[in-house]
Amino acid sequence: MGSRWTWRLVALPGVAWLAVFFLVAFYAIVCVAFGNQDTLSQPVPFWNPLDWNVGYVLEVLRNFWHGEQYLTVSIRTIEFVAIAIALCLLVGYPVAYYTARHAGRWKGLLLVLLILPFWINYLMRMLAWINLLAPDGWGTRMLHDIGIERAFISLNLLSARGGWLDGQPSAVIIAFVYGYVPFLILPLVVALDRIDQRQIDAARDLGASPFSAFMRVTLPLSKVGILAGCVLVALPMFGDYYTPDLVSASTKTNLIGNQIDQFTRQGSQKVTGAVLTLILSLFLLLLMFYYLRTTRAAGKVAGEE
Amino acid sequence: MQHPKDRSRLSRRQLLRGAAGSAIGLSAAGLLAGCENTTEPIGAEGGGLSGPASKLVVQKPLGPGGLPLPRPDNAVTWAITDDNPPIKDGLAVEKGPLNVYNYANYIDPATVKRFQKKFGASVKFATYDSSDEAVAKLAAGSVAFDVVIGLAGTNICNLIAQTLLQPLNHSYLPNLSKNIWPELQDPFYDRGSRYTVPYVVWMDGIGWRNDKVRQDIAGMDVPWDIFWHSQPYRGKVGVLNDKRDGLSMPMQRDAMHTGIRPDLNTEDPAIISKAGDELNELDGICNVKVTITDFQTLPEGKTVLHHAWSGDLLAGAFYYMPKGVSPDVLSFWGPDENGVVQNDFFCIGRAAKNPVLAHEFLNFFLEERNAYSNFVDYNGYVPPQNNIDADLLIKRGLIPRSLTSAVVRPDQFAANQELLQLSVEGERHWDDAWSKFTAG
Repeated sequence: MGSRWTWRLVALPGVAWLAVFFLVAFYAIVCVAFGNQDTLSQPVPFWNPLDWNVGYVLEVLRNFWHGEQYLTVSIRTIEFVAIAIALCLLVGYPVAYYTARHAGRWKGLLLVLLILPFWINYLMRMLAWINLLAPDGWGTRMLHDIGIERAFISLNLLSARGGWLDGQPSAVIIAFVYGYVPFLILPLVVALDRIDQRQIDAARDLGASPFSAFMRVTLPLSKVGILAGCVLVALPMFGDYYTPDLVSASTKTNLIGNQIDQFTRQGSQKVTGAVLTLILSLFLLLLMFYYLRTTRAAGKVAGEE
Repeated sequence: MQHPKDRSRLSRRQLLRGAAGSAIGLSAAGLLAGCENTTEPIGAEGGGLSGPASKLVVQKPLGPGGLPLPRPDNAVTWAITDDNPPIKDGLAVEKGPLNVYNYANYIDPATVKRFQKKFGASVKFATYDSSDEAVAKLAAGSVAFDVVIGLAGTNICNLIAQTLLQPLNHSYLPNLSKNIWPELQDPFYDRGSRYTVPYVVWMDGIGWRNDKVRQDIAGMDVPWDIFWHSQPYRGKVGVLNDKRDGLSMPMQRDAMHTGIRPDLNTEDPAIISKAGDELNELDGICNVKVTITDFQTLPEGKTVLHHAWSGDLLAGAFYYMPKGVSPDVLSFWGPDENGVVQNDFFCIGRAAKNPVLAHEFLNFFLEERNAYSNFVDYNGYVPPQNNIDADLLIKRGLIPRSLTSAVVRPDQFAANQELLQLSVEGERHWDDAWSKFTAG
């Protein structure tokens, strides 16, 4: 009894923190979205749900329904994030796999190297890329010399030589992958590290080839890590507006985060901005529920042994 | 997968959860059905003419707080009220520290230092990123700012409606009538300069790299057309990231073609969305960028053609040229008429703790010598001073001839249009069209 209360007490600051900085803040966004503005274009939140005004929400939903700009940027955002996550996995999984299972005594060092990018601010790392990818930058020259530039041009992913910063969707996606891939690798390393080597040995003993042992044992057992990593990178990517702004600023790479930024920070339509924020949050909430359900199911499967 | 033993317990819980879910759903639907459904802002109904006479006049849109929207053909004198009087004549100057609220990097630190030395008072700065942010923070009133720099005609009604400013006492500001353009002595948006004095002026135009763009843009019949013929510069062309400046660019282009004077403060949704559609064409033509970093990207060559504020080109020529690149490569063209000009204000905050020192600060920067050093040593935006013009700057070797027209002239200022405050409804039309354009 006593210890149960101790733990509840220990959890209290965290719960209070979440309540104040998440629930209250989120409720404020809801009340702005279901509120109105005054003649000074300042938002007037309606705190009582009985007073809520659905005018602005319906206006945004109508915009989606008619396939106007909010639908355009939402679909584009989902596309960019999906491709970026797939690339993150493609790059991150082998790295995580090697670190967790084959690095031996170098594991600690590798982990430190993986965490190293976190020492430098995300914006700084993006700004560095702007100079690297400038028409006469080192990065541009290197991509040219090793043939990647030509490959991108022939695949129609780059419009001209040295044009990485000319408002290319591919540049935004590459920047996403570069900026967020460490967040994906770390949970993957943990998940892969926890896999019992004996299960893989057992698969091999029962006649599985290394490939099929990987496909049928390692990969399913690392599913929780994959999902956790994907969620960790998807959440910030969906709201990101400064990466497309910095490396492109083209209208062809305008994401939902850019629209929200435009309405709330630069513009005077804070209510519309709050509605878009709310819709994005609900979408992310759905993804989170899917993640929680899957990991819980996976946890139950693991618990059955 | 559930354990068989769990089934009864879980199913009951699931049942409850399902019931709760549908209850929430139902009550939400019920709630929303009873909800208000409007996008009309609160308090927008009041104001204007009332009674039988109101039927005889076409009503003009009202500004924030129900105030009239100042226009060149609708000059406004803001009242001085008993509860917010100007300071008396001949008061002693306070010792500060003076609280100044400004955009970042928008005033010369060295000139400010000279002010501090002259009056033996320190100056503290707080900065803002957007005028919306500035107005909101002034209204919140948490800091008593003495001097506010950088707000403009797009904010004037907001400032007056919330009584955020203190009226000025002109006996402390002799440099206003001595040095400032006559056009800005008695402006239509603030007759008698009761609450504002001009800080710097600028205009919207075209900035380009004359070593990369071969066309004679300034010599074209309609220079704005260059953006719709910018295929060769694909990916290196930009439009200013500001809904008012951005959307008024195609409006100016249309006006040059038709010869009809545009209203760059229009609230007509058809005109605004047409401008948005025309900007949209630039996506296909040049994969247009939407930025305000042209002061840096033009000198660096990352963009070669950019819709630009005149001050950007001067600041670019003064500070942002990479090693080995001469400022001669920068060119600017701005329209003589029907274009965008803007005038940033100096104001004194209503709750100023050092109102006399604040007046002295304004007067100090209206002094020609100080306005000049602030301009050429740091800011790049032109003070509307009678004796500072392009010829002077070229003669002193400060700017190349290609940037002559980046120095706004008084006649240009008079024949172009200032962007001004809109009604909330009008603002929404501009925001919507801009959002459609930026979404690509």
